[in-house]
Amino acid sequence: MQLLKKLKKSSPGWFLLTAGIIILLLIPNLNIIINLFGEAGENWEHVKKYLLINYFQNSLILVLATGLLAAFLGAGLAWLIAAYDFPGRNFLSWGLILPLAIPPYIGAYVYQGMFSYTGLLQTSLRNNFQLNLSQSYFDFMNLKGAIFIYTIFLFPYVFLMTKAFLAKQSASLLESSRLLGKNDSTIFFKIILPLSRGAVVAGSSLVMMEVLNDYGVVKYFGISTFTTAIFKSWFGMGDLPTSVRLAVMAMLVIFVVLFIEKLLRGGRKYSYSSSNIRPLSRRKLEGKRKIMVQLLTYGVFFFGFLLPTIQLLYWSFLSRGGELVETLSFAITSFVTGGGAAVLILIGAVIVATTARMSSNFMSNLLARITILGYSIPGAVIAVGILLFMLQLDQVFSFLQTSFGIETNIILSSTLAMLIFAYAVRFMGIAFNSVNSGYEKIGESYFEASRTLGKGVTETFFKIDLPMLKPALMSGFLLVFIEIMKELPLTMILRPFNFDTLATKAFEYASDEMIYRAADLSLVLIFFSAAAIYLITHHRKRRKK
Amino acid sequence: MQLEIKDLTFAYNKKDNIVENFNLEVQKGEIVALVGASGSGKSTVLRLTAGLEIPDAGEIVIAGQTVADDHKFKAAEKREVGMVFQDYALFPHLSVEKNIAFGIDHLSKDKRKARVTELLKLVNMEGFEKRYPHQLSGGQQQRIALARTLAPGPELLLLDEPFSNLDAELKDKIRKEVNEIIKKIGITTILVSHDREDAEFMQAREILMN
Repeated sequence: MQLLKKLKKSSPGWFLLTAGIIILLLIPNLNIIINLFGEAGENWEHVKKYLLINYFQNSLILVLATGLLAAFLGAGLAWLIAAYDFPGRNFLSWGLILPLAIPPYIGAYVYQGMFSYTGLLQTSLRNNFQLNLSQSYFDFMNLKGAIFIYTIFLFPYVFLMTKAFLAKQSASLLESSRLLGKNDSTIFFKIILPLSRGAVVAGSSLVMMEVLNDYGVVKYFGISTFTTAIFKSWFGMGDLPTSVRLAVMAMLVIFVVLFIEKLLRGGRKYSYSSSNIRPLSRRKLEGKRKIMVQLLTYGVFFFGFLLPTIQLLYWSFLSRGGELVETLSFAITSFVTGGGAAVLILIGAVIVATTARMSSNFMSNLLARITILGYSIPGAVIAVGILLFMLQLDQVFSFLQTSFGIETNIILSSTLAMLIFAYAVRFMGIAFNSVNSGYEKIGESYFEASRTLGKGVTETFFKIDLPMLKPALMSGFLLVFIEIMKELPLTMILRPFNFDTLATKAFEYASDEMIYRAADLSLVLIFFSAAAIYLITHHRKRRKK
Repeated sequence: MQLEIKDLTFAYNKKDNIVENFNLEVQKGEIVALVGASGSGKSTVLRLTAGLEIPDAGEIVIAGQTVADDHKFKAAEKREVGMVFQDYALFPHLSVEKNIAFGIDHLSKDKRKARVTELLKLVNMEGFEKRYPHQLSGGQQQRIALARTLAPGPELLLLDEPFSNLDAELKDKIRKEVNEIIKKIGITTILVSHDREDAEFMQAREILMN
């Protein structure tokens, strides 16, 4: 009866589809671990002896420093937006998410360009003030510069999560603290920060994963991390076994991050017994404090979005729009690839989330964990796992052909199919989370009502669940779409020959110091991402009304 | 006998049974009220009867057909049991008309339309066909939910805390109306409530649960 109980609730078709998707998601990661026990590559000894320590050091410094800084910046800004009213607050509440529209590698070359000898800052110092300062003051391409770039462009993850958390908090918390004679900064450090610790840590761990995933910034700045090392051993030396070993090491760093997250989050969960809470009321700021808060919030917006965008526009203006046809063709490639892949990923996520909803708690937790796994693993690592898998498949096909004369003519490695598969492994978790929170909002009773009215699981899905999920599907699609548009490491390793997206081409131009051309492509990319962010945030607001 | 429940046992987790060896017999046309505090398992009995949960042990027979025992489990959509949910669960993306027609889409278009009109008349909501659930008051939503549930002509009507979302003044009126509708069509009804007054109003056989 117990077994029957577990199986009966979900329908077998959904379950089988989900099992298939889950196996596909797991293969690349398992593949790496299995291959670890194979023979080491020729370069491994050298890497181990001289380079590994450096990779570990750089990766850890970048990850931890950025995680910490982004946590403070994101949480602080979220608090200012949630608790105070000042001119510009409405705009900034989504404007401060916009830095996410600028991929860090684009931000990196923009800032480097501004600080360089021929850049805006130094030329104006030289020409207007006759100042010839030592170049070491302007050296941006080091660990500190990278940490700045990551923090200013990735902090919105913390900002978003903390802001959403604070929106659910009760006003009486603040009011009772004020009545007990505490000033605002005491309240922030004693009440708000400890209370929202879970959200801040969750956001900050997302930032850390993005940092470890990043290839563009560290490559451009010449900093060796695991991701650049994997690239070097695969592209530079064609040594797959060494890449596999490096990938495992990178996964170790991820486990450290996840462990720290678990530790910091603690087991405590705060919730309210009554569902009827009055949300935080905002205090109107006046005088000096108003100006300080505005300076800080607009300042972050300026450095995280406005300044880099203006610089890009200026460069693009200098190149007079450049090669418009070329820009357009990359934009179309990016748009079609990103849109198509996002649709496929969303379909997969809906299937898994629907099965998870019908399964036991244990099962649905497991499904959630597995789908989200890919997002915590750096793209370069996933790429290695997928390369291994595709090479194995190609071997199977060629074996079939030579031994049994079965004409397959299928080659999967280095095709668009492989790249889209890789996107799915990495971004399925984002789509799954959107669909899942959509389901949570809807609740069970519509599903059950439809069942008692004589409709089966699948019919209910198409007639009730799917139409009601529409907003969640929309935001899931946009989130995955932005991620794929900005994606660099997976695309660089796995793309077919001569296949370029806005992201890869912009990065290539920037690496070749063709910044005017890079600027055109970057602007198109930023425009798409910013538009998607606008749609997501404003769609949510509309629904709240 | 319209409903027979024998030795029904169910647990949400392995530790404690929320329903243990529960027995109930309901005659055709009878109204029964399960009354008890929250956590007494009364709503769970309703969900088990509807087929929304799978029993750990015991037997459920509806209109002479075994729908659940040790070897058999008939899914909710095949039981011909109607249920009005506590929050009504009217599909927000469908109009009133389409909500009511949801369970009878196997009928031809004309018959379906006639049935919807008939039910709207029954619950006194004629003219509301094109409205959407969010345009209705709580009491109106309740009536549409009842109409939707009755549309396929179920063997059994289950009401889960049907009056708990209504304010005191409205409650008396709706209780009377629902009672009249049920009496009029003579459907066998099981009602779950934490309030004994509900049972009295509905002139139901009370069963205390704890």
